[in-house]
Amino acid sequence: MNDQKKARTDNQPLLEMDAVSKSFGGVHAVRGVSFWLEQGTITGLIGPNGAGKTTLFNLITGVFRANSGRMIYDGKTTHDARINELVRRGISRTFQNVELFESMTVLENILVGQYTQTRCGIWGSIFRFPWMVREEHLARQNAMALLEFVGLEAYAEQKSGDLPFGWQRLLELARALAARPKLLLLDEPAAGLNIVETAQLGELIKKIREQNVTILLVEHDMSLTMTVSDKIIVLDQGVKIAEGLPREVQANEAVIKAYLGTTG
Amino acid sequence: MNKPYWYRIAYVAVAAIVILTGILVSNAYYLQLLTFIGINTLLALGLNMLMGYAGQISLGHAAFYGIGAYTTAILTVHYAISPWLALPAAILIAMAIAYIVGVPTLKLSGYYLGMGTLGFGMIIHILFREWSSITGGASGFIGIPPLEFGPVSFASGRNYFYLVWGFVLLSLIICRRIIDSRVGRGLRSIHDGEKTARAVGVDTSQLKLQVFVLSAAFSALAGFLYAHLVYFISPGTFDFITSIRIVTMVVIGGMASIWGALLGASLLTLLPEWLHSFSEFEMVVYGLILMSVMIFLPQGLTRGLMDIYERSKKSQNR
Amino acid sequence: MQEILQYIFSGITSGAIYAVIAVGFSMLYNSTELINFAHGEFVMLGALSFITLSGPFQLPLLSAFFLSVAGVACIGMLFERLAIRTVREPNPIVLIIITVGASIFLRGVGMLVWGKDAHTMPPFSKHPPLDIEGAKLLAQSIWIVAIMFLMAAGLHLFYKKTLTGKAMQACAISQKAAWLAGIPSKFMILLAFGLSTGMGAVAGVIISPITMCGYDMGTMLGLKGFCAAMLGGLGSLWGSLIGGLLLGILEALGVGLISSGLKDATAFLLLLFILYVRPSGIISSVNVERF
Repeated sequence: MNDQKKARTDNQPLLEMDAVSKSFGGVHAVRGVSFWLEQGTITGLIGPNGAGKTTLFNLITGVFRANSGRMIYDGKTTHDARINELVRRGISRTFQNVELFESMTVLENILVGQYTQTRCGIWGSIFRFPWMVREEHLARQNAMALLEFVGLEAYAEQKSGDLPFGWQRLLELARALAARPKLLLLDEPAAGLNIVETAQLGELIKKIREQNVTILLVEHDMSLTMTVSDKIIVLDQGVKIAEGLPREVQANEAVIKAYLGTTG
Repeated sequence: MNKPYWYRIAYVAVAAIVILTGILVSNAYYLQLLTFIGINTLLALGLNMLMGYAGQISLGHAAFYGIGAYTTAILTVHYAISPWLALPAAILIAMAIAYIVGVPTLKLSGYYLGMGTLGFGMIIHILFREWSSITGGASGFIGIPPLEFGPVSFASGRNYFYLVWGFVLLSLIICRRIIDSRVGRGLRSIHDGEKTARAVGVDTSQLKLQVFVLSAAFSALAGFLYAHLVYFISPGTFDFITSIRIVTMVVIGGMASIWGALLGASLLTLLPEWLHSFSEFEMVVYGLILMSVMIFLPQGLTRGLMDIYERSKKSQNR
Repeated sequence: MQEILQYIFSGITSGAIYAVIAVGFSMLYNSTELINFAHGEFVMLGALSFITLSGPFQLPLLSAFFLSVAGVACIGMLFERLAIRTVREPNPIVLIIITVGASIFLRGVGMLVWGKDAHTMPPFSKHPPLDIEGAKLLAQSIWIVAIMFLMAAGLHLFYKKTLTGKAMQACAISQKAAWLAGIPSKFMILLAFGLSTGMGAVAGVIISPITMCGYDMGTMLGLKGFCAAMLGGLGSLWGSLIGGLLLGILEALGVGLISSGLKDATAFLLLLFILYVRPSGIISSVNVERF
């Protein structure tokens, strides 16, 4: 725990959750959860099914509003901010079940990912002002660079729905990066991937961190989570039950009981 | 990157066909039919932006068609304003109404959106019929002036044909440019998955409203051209059935395809002419065609026939 | 006062008809999540076949009633089997256009069979109108309201007391789960179509003595029935009844007190109002997803 305290003074947290709660009807999905994410770190968020991980994601990205508690992102509150505003401020995500724009090409998916980073409106598109042509050109260059980063540059013009599943995951990751996130939320990025693909994904995630992107990772694949994460947060039934370095958490009795215990 | 090149060729081809047709066809009836196809193409193009690309249904688009027609009729006849001033007025009024109606309506989705737009269309239709001091009521509005531009009169069939198709070509280019831009990609992302689009940062409600307003503008332009073509309008032209016919043009031609709008508008303009030979059976056949296309080629004719072609090619290769 | 009472009487009469049509919409929506734009055409088929059976064929009213309702229900089931079940991509836009296509088709059939002229039908019974506080209440109005209540009670019992009714509700909640539980969900949908279109026919039968019946009578009736269903909450039986009656009364009052031009507009103004303000309907507590 000492490491963390020290880290906090060194590094201003990018996201701070302070006693955040969310309930649906009578179900308390998230109860008084507090934690902070330091800039440029990878944090693993784990917990059994129904622990509230996805709810937490939806709270951070602005899909749900918290019933109580505060969320400070990049020095400012996120309360009442619309989803697209949060994306513009640098919060980007992937989905548990890959959600691509299936009728669009691989390249176009990335271009949509850059939506908040570009400005061209209806008039701009009709009259093709020079700045708009330049913007479009730049956007395409960026998109190709991102595709190269995940290794899909050869399939730029393919329909995204036709890609094999593993590549769809990579494409989704690239699309999330297209929004130039400061905070990247990955919702089970390794689900459905084989061992090799998972290892490659781990390398990619580390590379993304090197660009000073902060990552919050929900993942059931412990080999991935434990190797890439700087810190692990454990949720159970909407409550944070542990937080610490991967090896600390692995040794934590409450965690073993709630999480590892149930999965055997 | 070769795409824009092909589009340019396609535009030139369409322009050439239009010019040639105007020269070769001298039969007034055929010219008028072709002009109607142009007007319907404008309607289908506008709705296609909303339905095909953004995935939002509207069962009340005849309202904007009617607003365009009645605005120019009222301004040119009651107030003796030049039609060329009435045109922007008609388009702006339709856009303003679309904006006001769109804000609450586009929050709905699926059947509810269909019903909301249907209700709006019905109310406007009833307004045309009942507000007789201004609109002439159920018996219609007579005496809309023909269009003139300096020495050029558009009263003749050929000139009007060129005018309408000039607008069509312009609209085709505008739609193509929007679709190939950031805005168009945003629209298509809504079609593929609205929630995901929002999560990626697309301002979905703003985009939907914009495209709704845009499609209203196209419909109003079509209404303007219709009014000055036939000099007489009545509420019956802008009723629920017309709204459905526009939807059908989009769907039959193929959603999310600009050329599909052209094809759908052509087919649905020609079909009734052809069905006249069925006289009594006209409605039965029309209904059957509508149902069977939707059952067997839900993607519309352009996409559906292309799929069939590709499948047959694949099976031959095997 | 006497005038207002008269408006309310006529409002309740047409409202009861809207209610029966609305119930048809609602129950189909309930079990299939589908809105049948051809529903009004089934009302038309019910009315015209009833007129033919009781007029030229000289059947007694009761058997003409049952025969025409059963016949229309069969057409409804045929429609489901041939046009709805075969759809490859059952998304709302495709289904809307198919049912619209069906409505044009059925209108065409109606025109072929019954011609373009309107037909009329004598009232079910020849009692003179009742005089209440100076306002006249037609015997046919009492018939209409009575049949509406009978039908609602019957449906209520069907849903609550019979296994088939419960199975149908199960299908409405989750078709797949119902199928896994051994409920023939496809048959249930077929049945739902039969019941819904049959109810449309009932509406047509009871309306036939008080209006001119022609092949094009269905469109407006269908749309208004839909407005009524939305008003009360789509999918709710009692909501649809209340929505229908409310629509009828408001329409009659609007016509009587404000302007006859409002007649057809009332329904759609109410529809927009309800969609914007409370899409779940005035009495339903279920939240409708607006996103």
